[in-house]
Amino acid sequence: MEGNKVGTIIGISDLNVKILLNTDDVKINDILYYRDEANRLIRRFEIVEIDSNIAFAIPFESVYGLKKGVELELIEGGLKIQYSDEILGKMFNSYGDLIDGNKIKVYKRKNVYEKKLSIKDININGDILWTGIKVIDFFAPLQKGYKMGLLGGAGVGKTVLIKELINNIYKRFSSNAIFVGVGERSREGQELYAEMIQSNLLDKMSMVFGQMGDSSCSRSKAIYSGLTLAEYLRDEKNQDVLLFIDNIYRFVQAKSEISTELKRIPIENGYPTTMVSDINEIEERINSTENGSITSFQAIYIPADDINDDAVQAIMTHLDGQIVLDRKIAEKGLYPAINVFKSTSKAIDPQRIGPKHYELLQQVLKYLTRYEELEEIIAVLGIDELSDSDKNVFYRSRKLRNYFTQPLFVSENYTGKAGKMVSIIDTLKDVEDILNGAYDQVDESSLLYRGSLNER
Amino acid sequence: METHITNLVNDKVSKIKNMRNIFDSGKVIRIKDYIVEVSGLENAMYFEKVIIMQKGMGYVNAIYENSVSVAIVKEYAKIEKGDVVNLTGEKFRAIISNDSMGRIIDIFGVDQLSGKPFENFKYIDIERPNVPIIDRTAVCRPLLTGIAGIDLIYPIGKGQRQLIIGDKKTGKTQIALDTIVNQKQVSGENGQVICIYIAVGKTKKEIKTIYNELLKRNALSYTMMVVATNDDKPPVLSLIPYVGLSIAEEYMMQKKDVLVVIDDLKRHAEIYREISLVSNKTPGREAYPADIFYTHSRLLEKGCQHKNGGSITILPIVETKGGDITDYISTNIISITDGQIVLSNKAFLKGQKPAIDYGVSVSRLGGAVQTKQIKKMGAQIRLKLLNYLETKEVYELANIDEMGAELRAKLNEGRNIENLLKQNKFEPLTTEEMLERFKDFCQ
Repeated sequence: MEGNKVGTIIGISDLNVKILLNTDDVKINDILYYRDEANRLIRRFEIVEIDSNIAFAIPFESVYGLKKGVELELIEGGLKIQYSDEILGKMFNSYGDLIDGNKIKVYKRKNVYEKKLSIKDININGDILWTGIKVIDFFAPLQKGYKMGLLGGAGVGKTVLIKELINNIYKRFSSNAIFVGVGERSREGQELYAEMIQSNLLDKMSMVFGQMGDSSCSRSKAIYSGLTLAEYLRDEKNQDVLLFIDNIYRFVQAKSEISTELKRIPIENGYPTTMVSDINEIEERINSTENGSITSFQAIYIPADDINDDAVQAIMTHLDGQIVLDRKIAEKGLYPAINVFKSTSKAIDPQRIGPKHYELLQQVLKYLTRYEELEEIIAVLGIDELSDSDKNVFYRSRKLRNYFTQPLFVSENYTGKAGKMVSIIDTLKDVEDILNGAYDQVDESSLLYRGSLNER
Repeated sequence: METHITNLVNDKVSKIKNMRNIFDSGKVIRIKDYIVEVSGLENAMYFEKVIIMQKGMGYVNAIYENSVSVAIVKEYAKIEKGDVVNLTGEKFRAIISNDSMGRIIDIFGVDQLSGKPFENFKYIDIERPNVPIIDRTAVCRPLLTGIAGIDLIYPIGKGQRQLIIGDKKTGKTQIALDTIVNQKQVSGENGQVICIYIAVGKTKKEIKTIYNELLKRNALSYTMMVVATNDDKPPVLSLIPYVGLSIAEEYMMQKKDVLVVIDDLKRHAEIYREISLVSNKTPGREAYPADIFYTHSRLLEKGCQHKNGGSITILPIVETKGGDITDYISTNIISITDGQIVLSNKAFLKGQKPAIDYGVSVSRLGGAVQTKQIKKMGAQIRLKLLNYLETKEVYELANIDEMGAELRAKLNEGRNIENLLKQNKFEPLTTEEMLERFKDFCQ
């Protein structure tokens, strides 16, 4: 190994080391490392900034105990991940290392910063993908190759919904899937892994985790490794891939942490100057081609319940559809707590979903908008002052609202109710019946947490 | 002549040796509150313990080309420019004792009740690597608080992180204390649950009061208090929760169940912000540094159910202003924890105690950590209660006499449930008592 030393550490802080280089061969995104006496690889650093013979690098591991004067060697080709058919059923960390005790026997290696797709590669055709979740299918239907955002503040049920989608879509279509855990709970990682084993689905999914207990560097890289695996399935195996990212906001957050340590000038709320280009870079990689498709579900955390947050807005630019979860609805105990006024999809077009669905959707939105106004009137005047037609709107809207709750498979343990899937045909029929007054004589709370209404 | 030169050289060599090594010794060149810059110290490692001769102690928190930055944790005398600083060759670690149970301890191995250092002490790492996903198992065993509003409706499991959040004087610490005291009667398969109460920047008076409460209720045989008071150096205040969790991890690795209370993380965030700003880090949202989320996430990720059978349950406390749980720090922590118990000032003043706001409180594990009977009852009560609270809001102005019988019954039932959930402090209910109390509301 002697002779490959390319630099020496001359400064250290939490997330940043300063390196004096003795060669011009070091490039941005290269990885330098050093080994301890026992000759085990112990610390890696990725170059992020070069200023003549001084470089700044972010450490992959903790810097505790690190000293000045340590000499570093170069790993050719930067951050790479192993891949082959064997990736399915395996769990990786952000740096492409297996963390489930398994080994991949036959593999190729690939840099995680993939080249861009050009417009001619992109394919935008796809069928509608029914999820069996009433409120999503009705208000924000998905399409193969879509990017769906799941937005919500802290604790309104983003992860539960992601898991329900994994459960429903994945069980029905049996496509392979990549799950990327970014800055979320390790407990959820463990639960997902256990559930996949339990339902015999593990061999159809690979997981990449850079969770919230991991360093900023780890959380900023998970997405690149995950994308590289998804691209492998799409481009080399010609598959339709499902990509679940929970949570993409944490990627921006990790980048902010690193940017601060590099003393870069921040934009609003401490976000890094390069935030928008960072997001564009990864979002443009998530696309469908002639070979195969990537349908992605991206949970987006809304910091401080502020949906106008710059990072959230920058991510939303890329979405084909969005499902917005609302604290006010969760507080009423109505789950999934989806705000139907803010949730939408590009598939809402009479040409795509059919005129009946489209008409009903418009009518339901009209009812629910009026209901919100009526609620204010009632708060002042009481219910008895309403006209008969407004009373109908009021009571039927409450029934619609209750109808769109649903027992989920993944929260069976929590609610004690078995999960239900509802076909769009049943959903449309039930909605039509409620609007036509077929359930006017029924107590509204009996519509809570049901599947379709014709099944008892 | 030769001997004279030899003597001179020997003299110089021994002088250098006395100073240990020129690389291991440096001088203070800049002081900014509790962050000092020291020249020399070429051999310093990141987070090494350093001694400011006769004046204090600190740790290395950044290394530059020609100097290092040191965060001061102890200052016996005023540190001045030119003071000599020596490296120790070891990481900065906390000193704790095996005799800590039932005591109030700090991170320097001093028994705060007697003011004397512990004789039987050991060093522990302030922070260790977190338990990897593959070494964790499902959180599924209940940790009973004895409070019906929690055990029935928003339950806590062993290995769960459940936030307690609310304004000043709404009973946040009280819920944690109730839970600690209740552990006396509910020891599970791993024996007595070990409790660790971590105080971040509480006043000495508050700490003494809590100690007396626990003493009075015989909870000190299994509880220790790990504290940093308001007048400790901010770096100590920022490290104290990590030390508490490090102690908890030792017990967990011995297959014990541990309950950790952190009182409180809002104060911890403020201290961390202060240190960051004093260290010239770029401020972000609300002037907090960009890594404020990571500061709390890696701390709270230490709560887990280990596959060896041991567990760490964490109850972090966060203080809010004006009942707003959607501010930056609160939402950060809510997005880390497995649920939150929200306490409302309005409910508190109306005499509803514990003042839990059942609408906004959440337990993400819910029924998974309840026994079968409790789960069945809890699910029904919760649905009825939430339904009642929502209905109440809409029909607040309606005349009760003109309501349909069904609606009136629903409102009455809800009100009864609300009343039965009231409970005085330190009056825990057993599972059997809860089942008995609410049996009329369940089929």
